Amino acid sequence: MPRTRSSKSTKPPSNEANTTSDTTPSQSTSTSSALPPSVANPPKLFVLPKSASHHRSRIVTLENPANGTPSRYLFCPDSGFYEFTRLAAPKRQPRSWLLTTENEHNVQKNMKEEEETGEDEGRGERGDGGLGSAYITRSPDLFVATPIDTLFLLLPALAPKSPKQAKQHFLSFDDHMDALTSSNRHLRALLAQHPFLRAKMEKRMAACCDTVDAGEEPMYRLSTEKLLVILVKKAERICKAGFPKSMEDQFVKPALEMPVMSVRREETSISIVSTTTTSAADEQDTIAPIVVAEAAESQSSTTTTTTTTTTTPTATPSSDSQTTALTTPEDDPPPLTTPPSIPPLLRLRTAITYLLNAYIPLTLHTPLLALLSSSPNLPSFTPLDTHLATLSKLKAQAAALRSISDNMSRKRGYDDDDEEKMAEREEKKRKREEEERRRKSESRGVRQLKKVDTSGMKKLSAFFTKVPAKK
Amino acid sequence: MLEARLEQASILKKVVEAIKDLVQDCNFDCNDSGIALQAMDNSHVALVSMLLRSDAFSPFRCDRNIALGINLGSLTKVLRACQTDDILTLKAEDAPDVVNLVFENKESDRISEYDIKLMDIDQEHLGIPETEYAATVTMPAAEFQRICRDLNAISESVSIECTKEGVTFKCSGDIGSGSIQLRGHSDVEKPENNVDIDLTEPVSLTFSLKYLVNFCKASGLSAQVKLCLSNEVPLLVEYSLQDNSNSYLRFYLAPKIGDEE
Repeated sequence: MPRTRSSKSTKPPSNEANTTSDTTPSQSTSTSSALPPSVANPPKLFVLPKSASHHRSRIVTLENPANGTPSRYLFCPDSGFYEFTRLAAPKRQPRSWLLTTENEHNVQKNMKEEEETGEDEGRGERGDGGLGSAYITRSPDLFVATPIDTLFLLLPALAPKSPKQAKQHFLSFDDHMDALTSSNRHLRALLAQHPFLRAKMEKRMAACCDTVDAGEEPMYRLSTEKLLVILVKKAERICKAGFPKSMEDQFVKPALEMPVMSVRREETSISIVSTTTTSAADEQDTIAPIVVAEAAESQSSTTTTTTTTTTTPTATPSSDSQTTALTTPEDDPPPLTTPPSIPPLLRLRTAITYLLNAYIPLTLHTPLLALLSSSPNLPSFTPLDTHLATLSKLKAQAAALRSISDNMSRKRGYDDDDEEKMAEREEKKRKREEEERRRKSESRGVRQLKKVDTSGMKKLSAFFTKVPAKK
Repeated sequence: MLEARLEQASILKKVVEAIKDLVQDCNFDCNDSGIALQAMDNSHVALVSMLLRSDAFSPFRCDRNIALGINLGSLTKVLRACQTDDILTLKAEDAPDVVNLVFENKESDRISEYDIKLMDIDQEHLGIPETEYAATVTMPAAEFQRICRDLNAISESVSIECTKEGVTFKCSGDIGSGSIQLRGHSDVEKPENNVDIDLTEPVSLTFSLKYLVNFCKASGLSAQVKLCLSNEVPLLVEYSLQDNSNSYLRFYLAPKIGDEE
């Protein structure tokens, strides 16, 4: 058995946009038959897809499309490429895995038939079952294989080598593949072994490229427009299922959090009405403007509401009333509620940012982002940007207010305490306490010696060689 | 499992008393050859090394190598409860959390027992080769202590010069200067008063007096002290722990080199 594994998938592949998602180059590990006290290269725990046919699947090293470093991918001839996502325990809660077999027979069956119901992981020892063949890995890392679009793996060849490179040339598929395989030896081997992979890759290449036919052969050139559409589609799919709570908490909620302002209660009640119109007025495609226009009109005139609802998207009088509603509250205190159209937009942008950072070569970021903001048939992020801008202004105001009123208790209230900082602080505190304890316990003589002028005296390690502490 | 019975508890008492002002915590490394200790002071310019060979104990049993990480302050507190002529027994498990100390009083059948919690101490261990020193001075421990104490009142540092005439301790400070010269001398009546200078080449080195004064707290351990010097090498100050045995308490001190006033 080449590696420790379990095929029970804990997460649906759509959740691959998880928080800790660096695909570390993982060594393919081998287990020895005896149980040594501590292995230098311990087995790693993988969650592999059920659908992948394990006998013909390979772990291959390919160029990471985002940063060009060689990374490990799982290749299955039937279902394509999978990337590995490492799930690690938080640093502050160190954990280990205890891997046991329910019984040895079961594991061997699992190996052969890929059918597994329980959560048992085999270490593949041909020994006794139960705890006798159990294994403890110190690192609690779990490598989850999730499908990756072959398209992303093609991008390094398609993307311009430097941001300044002018118009790219149309090249045949073979030329592109040559460029790609020159740095990816494993890919070349795979292509040689599995001829149909070629066709598959060509199809994916066609999806994101402009093509021209030059005689027999089609020629390809990367089209940022097509790529962007694909990306946005993917991002939308991520958002459709909604973000998992942890992501929602990290990316969406804090960004949209309203600062608490203790003043101007009376004014804000007005602004709620007006601001729903501002934000909704920007969103032309949603149903919101209809309702708002309706409200606005019922304020100004006494026309019948039923007719306006049906015609508003094109009707001029209603849009007039919208613009007036838009201009007047400009100087009013900003909104205290988040318009309903904002969170989905933010989610979409978070997803796109993630996709860009995780899969897209750096040289493509700027053209893609520029295209995203200018392209008319893609969702527009301007309402989100304006909303975030007002929010940050508000937050700055609130922080300023706060720093005047209670700068004692909220010293660190404004910058967000992520886990790392907390851990760091705790570590510092612990060290300080330890130091304190040491200082208290040290004798008078030790304290006296600290004052001795040791200038010109070398450390003893300069005279005597260090030897590892004997145990 | 460690079990070591030391007839003279005072030896351990004095050792701990002498080094507790130099280091705070240290590992007592126990193996079948005895109990050893090596630790450096906070500035890493001085090192203390102790060896109590298994023949200093009766009986001595140590099945496995054990490192007993002890806070010397705690050990001092416990050893204060031990009288000078008590018999001390050290006990510890193979993977101990505590070290157990038993004091037996021969006359009164009083047995007191203490446990000290151990700690994990991460210490550098230096390999110290047996060196041939250019000069070896053996002198009464009390004499050395007195010299250090007297000169400490005048200056921060002392220069020790060994020539074939004898050994000279020189210092100069704000109020003036001082020097003490000793010649080789043997007292038939009282051999502990001998001053013996063994010289292969002249040596002159400067040392911090505060540290030397600190080392002299071990003077009670033995009548004689041995100073070993070579140019540009740490000074070795050695007290033997039991007469005619190889157990010792050694101090090393880095010399002051370069900028001197």
